Amino acid sequence: MDALLSFLTVFSQPELLLLVAIGTFAGVYVGAIPGLSVTMAVSILISFTFSWEVYPAISLMIGIYMGGVYGGSRTAILLNIPGAPSAIATALDGYPMAQRGEAGTAIGVTTVMSFFGGFLGIAFLAAAAPFVSDFALGFQPRDYLLLAVLGILLVGSLSTGSLVKGIFAGALGLAVGAVGMDPLTFTPRLTFDLPLLRGGISFIAVMIGMFGVSEALMQLHHVDTPAIKQKIGRIVPSWSTVRKHLPLSLQTSTIGVIIGALPGTGGDIAALMAYDHAKRVTKAPKVPFGQGAMEGLVAPETANNAAVGGAFIPMMTLGIPGDAVTAIMIGALFIHGLNPGPMLMIDQPDMFWFIVGALVTANCFMLLFGLTGIRLFTKIVEMPRAVLIPLIMLLSIVGAYAVNNSISDVYWMLGFGVFGYFMRLYGYPLGPVILGVILSRLLDENWRRAIISEREDLGRFFEGIVTSPLSLALFLGVILVFGSQTPIWTWVKRILTRRTEQP
Amino acid sequence: MTDPETRANDHTEGLSDATPGGFAKERRPGEVAFAVFLVLASLGLLWNAYGISGFRALSGAGSVPMATTAVMAVTSLLVLIRTAARPKVASETFGRDILPPTIIFVALLLVAYGVALRPLGFLPTSALFLIAAIKLLSRRSWVFTVTVALASLVVIWLVFRIVFTVLMPPGIVPEAEVIQILRNLTNRGG
Repeated sequence: MDALLSFLTVFSQPELLLLVAIGTFAGVYVGAIPGLSVTMAVSILISFTFSWEVYPAISLMIGIYMGGVYGGSRTAILLNIPGAPSAIATALDGYPMAQRGEAGTAIGVTTVMSFFGGFLGIAFLAAAAPFVSDFALGFQPRDYLLLAVLGILLVGSLSTGSLVKGIFAGALGLAVGAVGMDPLTFTPRLTFDLPLLRGGISFIAVMIGMFGVSEALMQLHHVDTPAIKQKIGRIVPSWSTVRKHLPLSLQTSTIGVIIGALPGTGGDIAALMAYDHAKRVTKAPKVPFGQGAMEGLVAPETANNAAVGGAFIPMMTLGIPGDAVTAIMIGALFIHGLNPGPMLMIDQPDMFWFIVGALVTANCFMLLFGLTGIRLFTKIVEMPRAVLIPLIMLLSIVGAYAVNNSISDVYWMLGFGVFGYFMRLYGYPLGPVILGVILSRLLDENWRRAIISEREDLGRFFEGIVTSPLSLALFLGVILVFGSQTPIWTWVKRILTRRTEQP
Repeated sequence: MTDPETRANDHTEGLSDATPGGFAKERRPGEVAFAVFLVLASLGLLWNAYGISGFRALSGAGSVPMATTAVMAVTSLLVLIRTAARPKVASETFGRDILPPTIIFVALLLVAYGVALRPLGFLPTSALFLIAAIKLLSRRSWVFTVTVALASLVVIWLVFRIVFTVLMPPGIVPEAEVIQILRNLTNRGG
C-alpha cells in the first residue's frame, strides 16, 4: 500500500509532474541535437540541482534520461547523424527509410517501440529490484569487491574497443577516485604533496570534462556539416505494423533489460547487440537490413529504452551503476545524503517506488512528445553547431564552477576534457573511467573490510571466495570476461575446434 | 560494428564506447606519444601510491591505489607495445585530423575563460568567450555573432541565476544591484 502511494507521488504533485514533463521534453531535444548527449546534460544538471530537494532533482533527471535515449533516433532517421550514442544502430535502417520518403512511418514506429521497450524495462525493474535487494543483503564485502571489478571489466569488454584500453580506463577511474585524504586512516593518497589535491578531485568536474567538453571538442571536427531537411508524412503507425513486430520487440527488450542491468553497460551497447540479434533471427525481412528494414528500427529502439529500467536495477539494489547516466545519478543521490544500495531499498522504499513512478510518467510523456511537435523539432535541430558548441562549453564551465564555487574545479574539468578528447580519438573507452571514479570508494572499503575480516591472510580470503557459491560465481565471471579477451582464449578455442574437427 | 572510416563520416567516431575512435589495425598520428605519456603518468602514480603505505599491510591505505596504478602501468605498457608495432595511418596528419588549429584555439579560449572568470566576472567573460568562439566557428557577420552570443547569454544567465540560483563570480558587473532593480520593477508592476 505504501509502495503504491510512493509510486503515485509524481502524479499527486503537479510540480513533480511538470518537472518530469519538462525533463522529458528537454530530453527529446537534448537527445536529438547532435553534440548534446544525455550523459552530458545530466552531468551538467547535477551541479545545478544540488541545492534542490531530492524528488524534484531526480524527476528532472529521469525525464531527461528517458526522453534523451529516445530523442537520438529522430536525427538518426532524418539526418543519418545519431543524436545520441544509443541511436547509432537506429541510423543504419532509419535513414534509408527516410530517403525512401518513409520518415514519418520510421519516427512513428520508433516512438511506439521505444515506449513499449521502456515500459517493459520499468516493469522488470519494479518486479526484480525488491528480490535483488533482498538477495543483496547477504552479500559479503568480497562480493561487492568482485562485482565492482566485474562491472569495470564488462564495460571494457562489451564496448567494441580493446579490453586492455578498457581495463586501463577503469583503473584510471579508480585511481582518480582515490585521490585525497583516505577516509579511514586520514593519510593523503596520490596527492603529490599538493594541498590542492587533499580534498580530492570533484567527480562532477571529471564527468563534465569527460562527457561535456571532450565531446564538444570532438564535435569541432564536424562543425561545417550542414543540416538536411526532410519531408515528414503520417506518423502514428498502424496497429498491424506494431503487432507484427511484437515478438521481436519482446526479445530485443529483454536484451535491453539485461544489458542495461549489467553494471556499466547501457543503451548504446544494448541497441547494437539487439540490432545484431534482429539481423540473426529475422529470416526473410521485407527489405534487407541496412536498406531500411523495419526490424532494424524496432530492435535498437526497444532495447535502448528497455535498458533504462534495467540500468536502475543494480543502481538501486547494489549501489553499482548500470550505465553512465545512473552513475551520475548515484552521484546526485550522494549529494542529497542518500546512499544507494540494499539498505536504501529497506530504509526508504518510497524512494525506489517514486523513481519507478517517475520513470512510468516519463515514458508516457515520451510517447506524447514523440508523436507530436515534429514541425518545431525540425526547426530546433537546424541550430548550427557553430553556436551550439560554444554554448555547451559555457554550460560545462558554469556547471563545474557551481558545485563548489571553485576555479580549480573548472581547471580540473578542462584538464579532463582535453584528456578525454585524446582518449576518444585514440579509442580508449570513457565509460569505465566514470564507473571507476564512482566505484572507487566502494571497492576500496570492501577490499579492506574483506581482508581485515580474514586477518590479513590472502589464503583465507581466497578460501572464502571458493567456499561461497555467490563469490565463486562472481569470481569465475571475472576470470571468464578477462580470459575471453586474452590470447589464452583463442588458444583454448583452437584446441577445442581441432578436437571437434578430428573426432 | 562499423569501420573507422565510416564512423568518421557519419560522426559517430568516439561518440560513445560502442563506437570508439581510432583504427583497428593502424595507429593515428600522435597515438604513440599519447601511449608513452600514459605509461609515464601511470609509473609516476604507482611510485606515489607506493609511498602511501608501502607493502606494510594488505588493508593499508595504499593497497588499492597501488593495485590500480600497477594495473594502469601494465595495461598502458601493453597498449604502447601494441600501438608502436602498428603501421601509421597514411591518410591522416596530426595538424589536420588530431589537433586542427580550430581545436587548439578553442581550447586556449577555454583556458583564457578560466583565467578571466574571477577578475572580470561571469557576464563579461562569457560574452567575450561566446562572441570569439561563435565568430571563429561560424565565420558569419559580426552582427549575427554578437546578437546570437548576447541573446543566448541573457537566456542562460536568467535561467541559471533565477531558476537554479547558481552564483557565479560577479567581477566588474554590479549583478546584485541589477537583480534588485529587476525585482523592484516586477514588484511595482504586480
